[in-house]
Amino acid sequence: MRLLKKGAEADIYLTQWDKSNAILKARKPKKYRNPTLDSKIRKQRTIKEAQTISDIKSFGIPSPLVYHVNLTKSEIIMQEIPGKPVHDLPESQIIKLSKDIGRLVGTLHNHGVMHGDLTTSNFILYKKKIYVIDFGLSQRTIKPEDHAVDLRLIKEILNSAHAKIMQSSWKNFLSGYKGAVGSAKFIKITNLVSEIEGRGRYATVV
Amino acid sequence: MLGLGIESTAHTFSCAVLEKNGKKGKILSDVRKIYRPPDGEGIHPREASRHHIENSSTVLSDCLHEAGIKIQDLDLVSYAAGPGLGPCLRVGAVVARSLASYYKIPIYPVNHAIGHIELGKLLTGAQNPLVLLVSGGHTMLLAFLNKQWRVFGETLDITLGQLLDQFGRSIGFASPCGKNIEDLAATSTNYVSLPYSVKGNDVSFSGLLSATKSVSSKSKPDACFSLQETAFAMISEAVERALSFTRKKELMVVGGVAANKRLSEMLQDVCKRHNAKFFVVPLKFAGDCGSQICWTGLLESQVKKGAPLENTFVTQSWRLDTVKIDY
Repeated sequence: MRLLKKGAEADIYLTQWDKSNAILKARKPKKYRNPTLDSKIRKQRTIKEAQTISDIKSFGIPSPLVYHVNLTKSEIIMQEIPGKPVHDLPESQIIKLSKDIGRLVGTLHNHGVMHGDLTTSNFILYKKKIYVIDFGLSQRTIKPEDHAVDLRLIKEILNSAHAKIMQSSWKNFLSGYKGAVGSAKFIKITNLVSEIEGRGRYATVV
Repeated sequence: MLGLGIESTAHTFSCAVLEKNGKKGKILSDVRKIYRPPDGEGIHPREASRHHIENSSTVLSDCLHEAGIKIQDLDLVSYAAGPGLGPCLRVGAVVARSLASYYKIPIYPVNHAIGHIELGKLLTGAQNPLVLLVSGGHTMLLAFLNKQWRVFGETLDITLGQLLDQFGRSIGFASPCGKNIEDLAATSTNYVSLPYSVKGNDVSFSGLLSATKSVSSKSKPDACFSLQETAFAMISEAVERALSFTRKKELMVVGGVAANKRLSEMLQDVCKRHNAKFFVVPLKFAGDCGSQICWTGLLESQVKKGAPLENTFVTQSWRLDTVKIDY
């Protein structure tokens, strides 16, 4: 077993499952967090992640297969997607792929799933297909406000981590998203995004 | 180079004199007067601005006296032009404009939040940090990219400082309540489950505030303890997410809430896990002060001439991610 990445919430290991490569995602206890709160969060997110990753396959979202869940240790063993995170791709490619990402997010929302952590690191390009990962913060929700929170987050990430290509990739994302959800919902959600931004600190000039 | 900085965005009226030599800066004096609202009440902008007006001349002359300089020695004067409370901001701006026009000193309007960050960098020596700005006015995670501070995460509603103050006032403490809450929290170890709301790199505190108020009717210590544990865990998680996403190797904490020991302890643990160096601004300069404004003005003077007097406005809403930084 080899440590691949110390993520924000979990350690990611490369391991074996049934003689092929697999990923072990371990949500280890965090010393800084109150133990009661810590175990609640780790357990909830492990269940959420395993559930959502499996559910979304039924409507065609590429995501890793879940092989095994260990709730007492808050661990999931899942299929390895040996591609590259969109975050690390050349900028021209990120711009292009933003449209596909928008479509995937739209499809998730159509089926009442909010991802909850939409960053460019959570989309993996493998064999010309984009896989969606990291569903620990996902929620079953059809509330437009929740879907708008998803959009605001990816917008914030594009604006900060990919500032140079923000305009074009955001435009592409929106066009992909609109294609998936239709214009009526698109207008509603994007209006809500502006509303949430307006609520931000010092966002509106007085 | 000698600069004078004037801070008056909220409860603090402060003047400071700094000397800049190349990249080095030295604080010659930093004098403050802080407006204290009555117990259980928040800052009243009008009352605070009156306090600032009454104290401005003493603070200014004490500050010059302590630094051992005369107004004529100053190379520039900078003031906090926003964000903040309008009536309070105007006091600092008026003092700055008066000095600038009478003594013909170049004047620099400065963003208050940038001031927190720049003084933090000067005092801690952090080179390229992820910045956590936690105060009454801000709760933001920032990293510098392409001449601007970019927001990687922030609160979607109230700030960490507001959360602590508003809860503290509801149980009768005087603002700022952080220290009182910290002390009372230390007397309990009973964690009561409270809403934990992390949305990606963003956090939301308003639900937590209401829920904590209802816990406090049963036990104030439990409420304080659980509030700190929950809110700081949320911040720590957002920091972890931003550290892992930006791959920064330094974390710098600035702003008034940086003084909280429990928060520092949790963030130190986060940094250990991510092999990042942990920097926290010295307690004395964590809160609002003139040094922040002065140092930022001195930095700006490297690339900019002073502002024409007719452009020396104050702006209540002025997001720091809209400020272009050329120095």
